[in-house]
Amino acid sequence: MYRLQAEHLYKVFGADPEDGVRRLEAGAGRDELRESGTTAAVIDASFDVREGEIFVVMGLSGSGKSTLLRTLNGLNPPTAGRVLFDGRDLTALSPRELRRVRSHGISMVFQHFALFPHRSVLQNAAYGLEVQGVGRREREERATRALELTGLSGWGDSWPDELSGGMQQRVGLARALATDADVLLMDESFSALDPLIRRDMQDQLLELQRSLKKTIVFITHDLNEAMRLGDRVAVMRDGRIVQIGTPEDILLRPADDYVSSFVHDVDRSRVLTAGTVMEPPRRPDAGDCRCETVAPRTPLADVLQVSARVPHPVAVRDQAGEVVGVIAKERLLAALGDHDGPVTPCTGDTAHAAPPAAAPGVPAQPRKEAASA
Amino acid sequence: MPRLPLGDWTDSAVTYLRDHFGPLFDVISAVVSGMYDGLDAVLQAPAPLLLAGILAVLALWLRGLTAGVLAFAGLAVVVSVQQWDEAMDTLSLVLVATVITIVLAVPLGIWSARNRTVSAALRPVLDFMQTMPAFVYLIPGIFFFGVGQVPGIIATIVFSLPPGVRMTELGIRQVDEELVEAAEAFGTAPRSTLLRVQLPLALPTIMAGVNQVIMLALSMVVISGMVGGGGLGASVFTAISQVDIGLGFEAGLSVVILAMYLDRVTGALGTRVSPLGRRAMAAAASPRGTRLWKYRPQTSVAVVGIVALALTAGGMGVLGGGDEKAAVPEADDVGKGRQVDIGYIPWDEGIASTYLWKELLERRGYEPKVTQYDVGALYTGMSAGRVDFETDSWLPVTHRSYWEKYKNELDDYGSWYGPTSLELTVPSYVKGIDSLADLKGKGKQFGGRIIGIEPGAGMMKMLNDTVLKKYGLEGEYQVTTGSTASMLAQLDRSMKAKEPVVVTLWSPHWAYSEHSLKKLKDPLGAWGKGDGIHTLARNGFAGDEPKVAKWLRDFRLSEKELTGLEGAVHKAGQGHEQDGVRDWLDAHPGLTDRLAPVG
Ligand SMILES: Nc1ncnc2c1ncn2[C@@H]1O[C@H](COP(=O)(O)OP(=O)(O)O)[C@@H](O)[C@H]1O
Ligand SMILES: [Mg+2]
Repeated sequence: MYRLQAEHLYKVFGADPEDGVRRLEAGAGRDELRESGTTAAVIDASFDVREGEIFVVMGLSGSGKSTLLRTLNGLNPPTAGRVLFDGRDLTALSPRELRRVRSHGISMVFQHFALFPHRSVLQNAAYGLEVQGVGRREREERATRALELTGLSGWGDSWPDELSGGMQQRVGLARALATDADVLLMDESFSALDPLIRRDMQDQLLELQRSLKKTIVFITHDLNEAMRLGDRVAVMRDGRIVQIGTPEDILLRPADDYVSSFVHDVDRSRVLTAGTVMEPPRRPDAGDCRCETVAPRTPLADVLQVSARVPHPVAVRDQAGEVVGVIAKERLLAALGDHDGPVTPCTGDTAHAAPPAAAPGVPAQPRKEAASA
Repeated sequence: MPRLPLGDWTDSAVTYLRDHFGPLFDVISAVVSGMYDGLDAVLQAPAPLLLAGILAVLALWLRGLTAGVLAFAGLAVVVSVQQWDEAMDTLSLVLVATVITIVLAVPLGIWSARNRTVSAALRPVLDFMQTMPAFVYLIPGIFFFGVGQVPGIIATIVFSLPPGVRMTELGIRQVDEELVEAAEAFGTAPRSTLLRVQLPLALPTIMAGVNQVIMLALSMVVISGMVGGGGLGASVFTAISQVDIGLGFEAGLSVVILAMYLDRVTGALGTRVSPLGRRAMAAAASPRGTRLWKYRPQTSVAVVGIVALALTAGGMGVLGGGDEKAAVPEADDVGKGRQVDIGYIPWDEGIASTYLWKELLERRGYEPKVTQYDVGALYTGMSAGRVDFETDSWLPVTHRSYWEKYKNELDDYGSWYGPTSLELTVPSYVKGIDSLADLKGKGKQFGGRIIGIEPGAGMMKMLNDTVLKKYGLEGEYQVTTGSTASMLAQLDRSMKAKEPVVVTLWSPHWAYSEHSLKKLKDPLGAWGKGDGIHTLARNGFAGDEPKVAKWLRDFRLSEKELTGLEGAVHKAGQGHEQDGVRDWLDAHPGLTDRLAPVG
């Protein structure tokens, strides 16, 4: 079930946008258009956003992410192409109907929070409801609830500038949640926050999402964030979408050199999960010992720790407890190092044997004792 | 380069507008002067100190105790230098102009903030309005709106509109675009976005614009005083015309006090009305900040205070009933309360004769209204029928240029005093120069300058065209142009320093009794025969008021009478001219019946 569908969207800024689209369709590049003073911000973008998923659009600054996002709620009508919201063509709506969609169907969270400085936190959270024409009592009740959801109970009477950045963005989130619109557009909503706060907010968003099941289009330029949050990720480059896929798809099967150079710096251990790197169990008794096992969704970073403690390949169990695969240490290292294929044997004169492993249960000699001895 | 007849076009445009849109201008004029009269009536009703108290409570509420006390002290100074009535006239003028300006400027500002084309089209117009010297459109303004407060208010609006528009536009454009986008993203309609987000956030800037508008309006006060705007502007204008430095300072100080009061109060009002300002204020009010001088009454307390004072004021105004005029005996009541508008220029014989006629007409049951004007404004106003008559036209020379221009719309009732004389004058300590002929070859001594007066005065034309030529002084002397006031100030300055100076002067003039001066003889008769002081009236006045016209045609004063009258008026002091006239008339029984016979 698709909530939002984009069909061959173009957005060109300049004196004659339609002409820009014609030239793009005829094969002209972005740079050619720029020479004549027109900016092709979005070029031929098509994608579908499914009910209940977090769809991340990722790309460098200037790649057209914000422009694309603003076509999805009609703030920025596309030069060509269509946007379907629950099957309705947004580009064909009257301004009035469009405003109705915005106040009831699709809400938005901004990069720099965009809180109204002349309204209290509660009034900010209630803004969308005020526009809908909801009565004061109900509006404040619902806004208070939204603030609770985002962990801001008791802050309603404060003013936006009295809050830290993270808290301000929670107000922004509460404002978007209060309207009960079930599609959320988030434009680099966490980019302005400190790294620690950003992680917190990401966790909180994922947590909220588990219970609220909104449909979210999330914009970011941070690949780690994209991988962490996204059920699916679209990578944009110079106005075009170059790849759409799950985070693992993007990481393991980059569509082109651009994407692969992009994913180069990613912390693979946090994106890849046990399920994607496991191999079929070679022995039927793989799960019979009492050693620790992992779930298919466990990120490799956690599998590493388990693997370090277990003397044999780590078993992967599904929810039913069935062993569905195993991960050997070599396999783990290959996945993290982005290496495909078998281990190459040594070719020198002396073949090194593996060093003797410490016996399980015996801790390594503590350094301190060694020093005092 | 062919001469572009821009001036002629403007002239015909003005005439065309007056002829074809007269009713429209009359409506505007009626509305504006109605607003002014209404507000002025309210401000003039209460006793001065009581109203000063009300205004002080307002300051107390908005800014705290210190401001309240200072406001009261400042306003009390205005009362004590006897400029209160004028200050309230000025306040009414400024407030009416400001309200109209804001009503026009804010929507225009909003419009140009939302539409780049409008903004671009408006910019040069605003520049034009702000930089065009006010006098240039003030005089045509009289054509359209008549003399009095209205052209002054209109000129003020023209002058102060640009900052109002600009600050509104700026304020709205300054609002963070992400906030506007946020409003739109939640489905806010454009008009609501304006009301809910843009205007509240632009309010501090808009209020700063309002503040500027008020300050510019105050700066226009003097100029509107020259076209009959009255108030402190007229006081200042009188003072500079008569080189009355003391009065000038008192009136000027009153303008300053008014300006400071309005500035502080509107500034505080800005923080009061804007949500952001209220927040900042709440934040600043720390719990320990409740010291006495920071005390600000609650809104409710302030309202109660103001209402109580206002009620007292209203009650006293009603009970006091104003200053009742002595009833006119039935037999003398020729005028039956009909109004007569007398205009005058602040020259001594003009003031004296004008107030003489005011008193005479009151004694005959008329309701004369006297208004002071700049010369140009007076002639323009009279030709447009807004002034009935004036008694101080020096003809055929001094005011020739005005007479030539307006003679078709005016009637000359003849000369009531004369002959006057025009002359060049030097201080009596300048030795060896007794006649115009003696000036030749002495140009160095006077720095080659003859201190002149208004460039439009007939005397100046005559001096340049005839007198200098006849005595062969061209080239050696330059006639400086300025104003009568600046000429008198220069004379005063030179005499203090005992420097040689030669000025254009005329008799009668009070300068001759003030300073020891020497009129330069005119053996060649270059100045011609002296002017007579004429009474001029608008066309048709004789038909409307044949009796008054007859009195004016028969009006004559001897030199002794005129100097005596001027002396009495001078002694009574500014603001009490009519008392001086009464004293003088009392000392000359029978004069009333000679000048304005009932039979
Ligand atoms: N209103 C506009 N007018 C002209 N160019 C624009 C406008 N908005 C965005 N652009 C241009 O479109 C391109 C994409 O911008 P944007 O969508 O903001 O990128 P991103 O959000 O990925 O950083 C940029 O080159 C930007 O300069
Ligand atoms: Mg962006």
